Amino acid sequence: MRRSIGLLMVLLALGGCGGPADDPGEIVYWDTSGPHESPVFARIAQECATAGGYRVKVETVAFDAASNNFKTAAQGGRGPDVLRAEVAWVAQLAELGYLVELGGTDTADFLDTPVGSTRYGGRTYGVPQVTDSLALFYNRKLLADAGVTPPRTWDELKAVAGKLGGTKAFFLNNDAYYALPFIYGAGGDLVDAPRKKIVVNSPENVRALESAKGLLDGRAATTALDPGNSYAGMQAAFSAGEVAMVVNGPWSVADYLRGPAFADAANLGIAPVPGEREGRGSAPVGGHDYVVRQGGKSVDTARRFVTCMSSLDNQVRVSRELGLLPTRKSAYEHPDVKSNPVVAAFRPVVDAAHPRPWIPEGGQLFDPLKTAYADFLAGRKGAKAALDEVAGAYRDQVVPSYSIG
Amino acid sequence: MVLPVVLVVAVLVLFPLGQGVLFTFTDVDEGTIANPVLGRPATYEWVGLRNYAGILSGDPGYGAFWGTLGRTMVWTFGCVLCHYALGLGLALLLNRQVRGRAVYRALLILPWAVPAFVSAFAWRHLLNARYGIVNQVLRALGLPDPVWLGQSDWALVAVMVVNVWLGTPFMMVALLGGLQSIPTTLYEAAEVDGASPWQRFRHVTLPGLRAVSGTVVLLGVIWTFNMFAVVYLITGANPNTRLLVTYAFERFFSAASRDYAVASTYGVLILSVLLVFAAAYRRALREEAA
Repeated sequence: MRRSIGLLMVLLALGGCGGPADDPGEIVYWDTSGPHESPVFARIAQECATAGGYRVKVETVAFDAASNNFKTAAQGGRGPDVLRAEVAWVAQLAELGYLVELGGTDTADFLDTPVGSTRYGGRTYGVPQVTDSLALFYNRKLLADAGVTPPRTWDELKAVAGKLGGTKAFFLNNDAYYALPFIYGAGGDLVDAPRKKIVVNSPENVRALESAKGLLDGRAATTALDPGNSYAGMQAAFSAGEVAMVVNGPWSVADYLRGPAFADAANLGIAPVPGEREGRGSAPVGGHDYVVRQGGKSVDTARRFVTCMSSLDNQVRVSRELGLLPTRKSAYEHPDVKSNPVVAAFRPVVDAAHPRPWIPEGGQLFDPLKTAYADFLAGRKGAKAALDEVAGAYRDQVVPSYSIG
Repeated sequence: MVLPVVLVVAVLVLFPLGQGVLFTFTDVDEGTIANPVLGRPATYEWVGLRNYAGILSGDPGYGAFWGTLGRTMVWTFGCVLCHYALGLGLALLLNRQVRGRAVYRALLILPWAVPAFVSAFAWRHLLNARYGIVNQVLRALGLPDPVWLGQSDWALVAVMVVNVWLGTPFMMVALLGGLQSIPTTLYEAAEVDGASPWQRFRHVTLPGLRAVSGTVVLLGVIWTFNMFAVVYLITGANPNTRLLVTYAFERFFSAASRDYAVASTYGVLILSVLLVFAAAYRRALREEAA
């Protein structure tokens, strides 16, 4: 029986994705960054391999599909040697036994929050690649022409929207991750991990969702209500200068700078996300970690690769070329990083960002919320009813050991 | 002599099927399944009929089975009806002596020749609420431009339109083959007897197509019932387009917990529904022929 399940999983994995060659001199790295970022990571990866005397095969994998594909492959003993994992995936992959423990990794130079995401059960399973958060991106020219400054609260955004052309003021992405600034800013959260409680349907969160919808109802924002097209719609609208403001992370800068509205990079303004009250805006901590797959042929080479990729020099280079935020404290002392406008704007945002629970289920909290948030913004359900359903889904499918309330 | 056949059937069909059925009586998920690669033993437990009870009670935590089944029925019969009607219409048009018939036939077969996922992504862009060409045209004509792929029943309409576009060529080709196998002497005889075009269609064409129709409609129902790519790639995990098969995928691969047990149970239920349908359909056809 057991053997047969193994056979089934191997067949599944073979169907799902190609595995690495059984060649200890070559490692496979799954890069999940976007098309404008991955060439830089691929170049650095090749240089690491050349310097280290091994070969690396960089495979770009769509971010949305990477966790799933990795799990399917790893279950059958295949997959990449090194994966760029979103911070919320690490605890789960570690719990399922897919990751090599990276004990003895020197983490003294790394920022505390990103390091927190690499730990599970008191052990370390990853090395932080980049850290990030969400901020308010704005089109300086459009705001200056309208005579307004970047809003610090959602009410302020609503008030100045008229001067910016109403719904052209802001593009609201109806994805769950982009609901977090509203939720954290109103003092809410999804789960209370230490007390093992599901708090996603709290009164704070109801208020948070209503302030998001208030922007749409008050004709101060636009959205693409078809979830599959929402992110692409937001990027297109902001890059073209059709909307004045969006909330997004530093990974989007490379996309924006290719758009006609930001041919002059100085036109791209970055400010903290607005909150319910001034100075209370709060965005989630994001970022990515390098993790090494358990059962790979060349774990030692993979570890050397991770060490090289996350070295000070390479973090500085990624920051300089892409404006991404380093995870090493010492990188922020480097003049190139200090003078990078994106990093300078995001540094205080990251420091003030709201930590997420580093629990194995952390990455699974978004799917139910995404559906509910889109339903609510489309006017199909009330905020409380939508969030109650999310709470039910969390209890039934995500964190069965937690209680609601 | 039958041994090789028995072996092949056992290995390719019965063994995986039996494994799937066994899973439906357990609580197996990615954390409890055995993993010989990592040297991890199986820790899942026998739960009897709990998965079936949860699903058949219609619990939203198990995918609100009855609502999903109803939507799957609407989707399947709506699509197959349009496939058949459009396919027959096009086949009749192409069955006459028209100039450039080969060109039309090649063009009409095109949707079927494109891989389903390519079509799905193309249609997702066409139906984009802000930038899609469909809504741009509707706006230009002063018509309302709904959010096709959003949180409403328009999403189901949209994916049905795409699936009809994809599936009609197959029906057309199959029925065209059927039409061409009807002897022209029958039409000549009917004409001599003074039958109107409608009477000829009713009493010569339709009976002549019965064998082909019976087969392609049954195939169409089974394919459409299990059509995953179009629905999932266009609308993702949208509850308004959730079918039995996309929900099984959600539970197995995406979403929360890689719940192999619930996904397998859905697989068994889908198989049961289709077996019942196929048996009833074949009996109905036989009675009609008799």
